[in-house]
Amino acid sequence: MRNISSFFRSVVKALAFITVFSLGVTTFAQAQDVKAGEALFKANCTTCHKLNARLVGPALAGVNDRHDAEWLHKWIKNSQAMVQAGDEKAVALFNEYKSVMTPFPTLKDDDITNILAYIKAEGDKKPDAAAGGAGGATGAAAANDNVSSFMLVGLIVVIALAFLVIVVLNRVIRTLEKVILKNKDLKVDDEEEDGKPGKDYAGRLKKLAKNKKLVFFAVLMVGGLLTSLGWKDLWNVGVHTNYQPVQPIKFSHQLHAGVNQIECQYCHSGAFKSKNASIPSANICMNCHKGVTGSEQYGGETSPEIAKIYRALDWDPKTQAYGNNPKPIEWVRIHNLPDFAYFNHSQHVSVAGVKCQTCHGPVETMETVYQYSPLTMKWCVNCHQVTEVNHKDNAYYDQLIAAHDKLKKGEKVTAAMLGGLECGKCHY
Amino acid sequence: MDSNKKYWKGLEELQQTPAFVDNSKSEFAESLPIENVLNEAGLSTKTPRRDFLKALGFGLGAVTLAACNRTPVHKAVPYLIKPEEVTPGIPNYYTSSYKGQSVLVKTREGRPILIEANPAAKGLNCGTDAATQASVLDLYDMTKLKGPILKGKETEWEDLDKQVISSLTSAAASGKQIRIVSSTINSPSTLAAIAKFTEKYPTTKLIQVDAVSYAGIIKANENSFGKAVLPHYRFDKADVIVSVAADFIGTWLSGEEATQQYISNRNYKTLETGKMSRHIQFEAGLSLTGTNADVRVAIKPSEEGPLLIALYNELTGASLSGAISTNAKAQTAVKLVAKELLQAKGRAVVVAGANDVAIQTLTNAINAALGSYGATIDLDNASYQYKGSDEAFSQFLQEAGRGEVGVAFFLNTNPLYDYYDQKQAEDAFSKIKFKVSFADREDETAVKVEAIAPDRNYLESWGDGNALEGYYTIVQPTINPVFNTRQAEQSLLLWAGDQSDYYDFVKNIWETQILAGTTKTWKDVLQTGIEYKGEKPATAYNFALALNDVTASIAARSKELAKDVEVQLYESIALRDGKQGNNAYLQELPDPVSKVTWDNYVAINPKFAEKLGLEENSTVEVAGENGYKITLPVLMQPGQAMGTVSVAIGYGRTKVGKAGDNVGKNAYPLAKVTNGTIQFNTTAKLTKGGQSYELAQTQTHHTIEGRNIIRETSFADYKKDASSGSGNKGKEHKTYDLWDKYEQPGHKWVMAIDLNACTGCGSCIVACNIENNIPVVGRDEVRRRREMHWMRIDRYYTIEAEGRGVTEEGEIKHLDNLENVSVVHQPMMCQHCSHAPCETVCPVLATVHSSEGLNSMAYNRCFGTRYCANNCPYKVRRFNWFNYWNDSRFDNYLNNEFTQLVLNPDVVSRSRGVMEKCSMCVQRIQAGKLQAKMEKRVLKDGDIKLACGSACSANAIIFGDANDPESEVSKALRNERVYYVLEEINVQPGIGYMTKVRNTTTNA
Repeated sequence: MRNISSFFRSVVKALAFITVFSLGVTTFAQAQDVKAGEALFKANCTTCHKLNARLVGPALAGVNDRHDAEWLHKWIKNSQAMVQAGDEKAVALFNEYKSVMTPFPTLKDDDITNILAYIKAEGDKKPDAAAGGAGGATGAAAANDNVSSFMLVGLIVVIALAFLVIVVLNRVIRTLEKVILKNKDLKVDDEEEDGKPGKDYAGRLKKLAKNKKLVFFAVLMVGGLLTSLGWKDLWNVGVHTNYQPVQPIKFSHQLHAGVNQIECQYCHSGAFKSKNASIPSANICMNCHKGVTGSEQYGGETSPEIAKIYRALDWDPKTQAYGNNPKPIEWVRIHNLPDFAYFNHSQHVSVAGVKCQTCHGPVETMETVYQYSPLTMKWCVNCHQVTEVNHKDNAYYDQLIAAHDKLKKGEKVTAAMLGGLECGKCHY
Repeated sequence: MDSNKKYWKGLEELQQTPAFVDNSKSEFAESLPIENVLNEAGLSTKTPRRDFLKALGFGLGAVTLAACNRTPVHKAVPYLIKPEEVTPGIPNYYTSSYKGQSVLVKTREGRPILIEANPAAKGLNCGTDAATQASVLDLYDMTKLKGPILKGKETEWEDLDKQVISSLTSAAASGKQIRIVSSTINSPSTLAAIAKFTEKYPTTKLIQVDAVSYAGIIKANENSFGKAVLPHYRFDKADVIVSVAADFIGTWLSGEEATQQYISNRNYKTLETGKMSRHIQFEAGLSLTGTNADVRVAIKPSEEGPLLIALYNELTGASLSGAISTNAKAQTAVKLVAKELLQAKGRAVVVAGANDVAIQTLTNAINAALGSYGATIDLDNASYQYKGSDEAFSQFLQEAGRGEVGVAFFLNTNPLYDYYDQKQAEDAFSKIKFKVSFADREDETAVKVEAIAPDRNYLESWGDGNALEGYYTIVQPTINPVFNTRQAEQSLLLWAGDQSDYYDFVKNIWETQILAGTTKTWKDVLQTGIEYKGEKPATAYNFALALNDVTASIAARSKELAKDVEVQLYESIALRDGKQGNNAYLQELPDPVSKVTWDNYVAINPKFAEKLGLEENSTVEVAGENGYKITLPVLMQPGQAMGTVSVAIGYGRTKVGKAGDNVGKNAYPLAKVTNGTIQFNTTAKLTKGGQSYELAQTQTHHTIEGRNIIRETSFADYKKDASSGSGNKGKEHKTYDLWDKYEQPGHKWVMAIDLNACTGCGSCIVACNIENNIPVVGRDEVRRRREMHWMRIDRYYTIEAEGRGVTEEGEIKHLDNLENVSVVHQPMMCQHCSHAPCETVCPVLATVHSSEGLNSMAYNRCFGTRYCANNCPYKVRRFNWFNYWNDSRFDNYLNNEFTQLVLNPDVVSRSRGVMEKCSMCVQRIQAGKLQAKMEKRVLKDGDIKLACGSACSANAIIFGDANDPESEVSKALRNERVYYVLEEINVQPGIGYMTKVRNTTTNA
């Protein structure tokens, strides 16, 4: 029997092994397909295609069902040849999208199979995920909408609780005091206690009021406090540090500059060549957001903030066309210099090589941008007094630096020394 | 040799009138009422305690409220789709052209803010005149029509087109004539568009007519040489220039080009080579050209012809009858001038200003005798700036009067304002069934037409120009059309049934005609702005006409003029023919000679006025031959020929806009037609007017108390000693310093001004106004001496009588005429003194010196004590009495958001209560430095140009870095002629002036 059992066992083992192996092999082979396909898809196709939405070309989810594999292979390798050959489907597609698909003769048949496999896999997966995601997003949005009222109610509850705690504590303290007094044999009559303290307090107050030193001290303290507060306040009239207005689009620098590491000057391209750093025009946004719609987080729908860009440009993501009713985006200026002060970004960014963050703070961590620096003249002057002039390899400064070197013998040359504090440099 | 000449800013100074003496005491015309407050009555008035507390309480409350400000919300609206070439904050430059002159238009964020000469057109123009500079303001004129008008009501283009086309069709069907009346058109594309239109409507004829006509010259050239063109004068090739009443560097023909040519023989560089041209001017009114002449002889308009006859006789030995015999001085002068001309044969030119065929024919004869053709006068490279024909226009009026004209178009012309015979014009108008105007506003003519199809400003248009043979310029738009307007050419094409876009039309003309045979493309032209085919060789022309008819005509005309008071109508430098009447910058530009703003006037010799019983500030009624009467204020003008008066045209517009309406009086109707051309020399009867009128003159403002600030010498003395007259020789000032010496190791910005090159034209003033957002203050404020111009051009007279200068104040009483004056123009702006007196008196350090030699002005620091202005020896500081750009009392031009688009965003507009002055265009200096820093290179000489300097055709203002020994300004300042104004008071000014050299033999 041992043999039988062992045989049985080995058979089972073998069977199991084979099953597992074959299963493993199939899954492995499939995984290989899809992964390679994903890489190829991202490298070659995403410029013009998305899976579930139209971009330059059609949405690709379900393309395997719409066309047979052989046709697709031919199409991807050279679509125009098919159109010219008069293939019915090809002509129809070309007429619908009115753009020539880049031919990919270099893609091998295997590659195309892989890409198609990826599209199929993703296409099968997407609908469910999307459905789940959609639910989540709506929930989140609902929560978002309620945020302010929720906080308000919460705040009221907290205050009420705190008040309750204070009242209870007060009671406890009074009871405890009574107990202590009792313990010290200073029996206090309850009735007396109720009537007396008022009189007593008034008396005490009168007594204190007669204490001239104390009154003087109190007045001095209050006066001093008011003066210092007033002084501080007056100095800050017109200084708007931490000014953080609500913007028409909830644009997150933290996401763009922080997470995605987009260079500041990609958008604020004026900073290194002009006086104005300039808020990017909407067409700069569209360089990415033509494709990036944030739909992963919004269940296949375009993110409502990105949709605002589309609305501004009157861009229809479905037809991929601009309309003729654009509406400019009215951002709220955060950094306001007065008219009489001339500031030039390029001087600071290009010539001096000052980092954006020096004045604007850690923008890459800001969800909503706020004014980081006071932008007062004192703040400008302080910096000009200590900042060394970036004169390396800049022929413009050669003569100036030589002259100053003669005078200063190797000390560092600050902006102030080259006239950086003179009125006429900023005020004209 | 120091000159013993005395210079006068005006007659008031010479006569020491009480008002002048009073005004010269203080910097500001109106003294503060300190005395009223501090006198006994003032001190004893009691301010009730309650009032005091109320004021205090209110003040405290107001301050507290003001301090509780919330962060102001400023919107920032970026482009939706940014044009690739626009970077906010960086100007773009586009080539274009204005009146045939190639220009560069500076735009910021898509709006034009400044016009400068196109450097690619070098040699043809290096500066711009005041009108060109100011033309950018015309774009932002609120008076302009916002859309088409049909029968006085706003309409749509479709309706207007329907109406016009139906009128055209019915006119064509009934065989009526169609006329396009226009000022000179030298644009090949416009002419082609009109040709297209004529193809469709064959009865169409183009009538070209100019308000200021040069038909006399064209006709004379046709008679003399068979070429009906304006010649191209070459004053740069002339060593001796004789002008008979031609203001050739001012308003005559092509003033800017002539200035450039003329000065090239008289500036410091030429003087260093020991050469200088000689210029003799005969004229009635003192013109800009007359003020620059070496010798100026006052003659009456009636003597112009006889003088030329005398000159011809002297030159050729002929004995034509009718030579001048009424003016002894002129007679002697003619003899001397003839000798000089003969010596300079082939290097001489004679020009005459009169629009009279006979006079011009005689001038041609003189020039032919001098061998000028092919040398100083070029008939082969003709000028197309003026092609108007007075005869053609009067023919048109006759046709219209007979009811033969069915439809008439008016393009860039305003005959109901500027035609001399208003009645005839109006009668003719009433007989034309359908009239269309292309005016940009409802002007004097446009209000009387059936349809207005508003044309676009040139800064919104496509087009071209051909001002000179072989010289083509492009006009390209620099801003989207502001209002619902359409280019006139586009309208004509549409009405002719041609649907093509005018842009394609222009492009096609260039590609198929102008650029044909060259390797250049349309895009090349858009970049350079010009296509110059080069100069054809100029050939000599023989004059073979008998002069008997000419002399007869001259004699008759002279006789006709020599009655009553002779009147010379002239164009003023600022307003010219009056088309830019609503341009506040031009209205406030002081006349180069009289320094009057915001008015025209009767210029009259003070001695002649005395005879007529006219006084300063009085008015006079001028009654023309045709019965037209205007009453104008009197201006005492030294140098004006006795028995004559001069009146400027271009004023008295009634339908031009807020700034220009009813400024001055219209003098056009005083003109008359003789021998087929409009004559601006005429006669009139003068009667003393009733009321008095104070002209807004800047003349005696900012007086310099008779200090020796003008230095002058003669060319003869200059040749002996280059530093003669400059007062530099052997005069080493001992300098004392109250302050520590400080280094200027980087740049030291300075200027050199060549008094010989400065003609006084004033285009620098307008350029400065536009670059620096200087407000226009209006007539009343100018009267109060509150004009804001950062730079002014001081005009100094020296008066000669019996061969010597008048040096004593009272001496004027004994002179029998004040005809012999000579003039020096001196541009005056902040001198950026190293020891600036203004800086030491500022209690808040609002004006301080920079390490680059600039005297800076921090407006936000200034709180308006005006001590600095009181302490400035040059009187160049200006105080903002009002917020001129935002005050309904100064509703001239800038008091609306649209016009404010003309402001330069790099310069702050100053607010009330703040002092301001020339900053040496510090914004341009900073921009130039930054450019060099960005490109990591040394700042080159010429990288930075100031607004005034780049507008100057004569290159009279040279700017640069004195620390660079090779810079143009350093070289110029090493010239022996250089002196510093008031250097004896040790303020160490940064601006050097070069002694005025006059090509005369003596300097008595």
